[in-house]
Amino acid sequence: MERTGYEDSSQTLDAVFAALADPTRRAILTRLATGDAPVKDLAAPFDISQPAVSKHLKILERAGLIERGIDKTRRPARLNPEPMAEAVRWLEAVREFWSSSFDQLDGLLQSMKDSEEGNPK
Amino acid sequence: MRSLPTYVLERTFDAPRALVWKAWTDPKLLARWYGPNVETVIHKLDVAPGGLWLNEMKMGGNSSYQRAEFTEVQEPEKLVCLMSNTDADWNIASNPMMPDWPKTLLTVVTFKETANKTEMRLEWTPHNASAAEIACFENAMENMGKGWGAGMELLAELLAELAAA
Repeated sequence: MERTGYEDSSQTLDAVFAALADPTRRAILTRLATGDAPVKDLAAPFDISQPAVSKHLKILERAGLIERGIDKTRRPARLNPEPMAEAVRWLEAVREFWSSSFDQLDGLLQSMKDSEEGNPK
Repeated sequence: MRSLPTYVLERTFDAPRALVWKAWTDPKLLARWYGPNVETVIHKLDVAPGGLWLNEMKMGGNSSYQRAEFTEVQEPEKLVCLMSNTDADWNIASNPMMPDWPKTLLTVVTFKETANKTEMRLEWTPHNASAAEIACFENAMENMGKGWGAGMELLAELLAELAAA
């Protein structure tokens, strides 16, 4: 079956959610928000080995959350915020739809109450 | 058997229950609040078991369509329906933005009256969903729920910082 862009986008989201469900990986992303860094620097604040950090980086890379430099020896990691932005936007949209609708319902109920009070039957 | 993930949204309205029920079940009123910043057109609203709610939302030149089939109606305390996104001919379709989102959500709305206010509770559960749909829904719920609040806030901050940089 031919893959469509939509399927790709859902796979991205699944991978993003899985990648973000780990405190070490979230910490790595936060660190990368301040600038690109090689594995050695990323491993330093954590009590884990460089290979363990590399494993986390691989998961983040597959999710599209980071990009790795081509330089084989250093391979500095760089944050790519787009997939995160997509996940945040989707979740916000679903929640916002209902809560904004209910804000409107609040206003409507108020005007219904007012008009009932103004015109007692 | 694992229980299905359920999303719960609660809200208290400062109005008697009969009024809230009316706002949900009168098509003219429903169109006025359902769907923020869109023009909502209600093509059909038959609030009875087996009855349909056919809803169109117009955004710019585009429309999105939803249908709901009521399975239980207990005036004025409970509405149960199966909600789906559809194409323009009201055939159930997956959401192009999120293809693994459950195509049909069992939606249970309950209304409880306390001191002239109405406590409303909205519950969603995937209906006849595939494993992928249930996983997608569960992931999203987790993100909206307790354990995720801090993580998502962090990411939102991070994105704002990046946008500003």
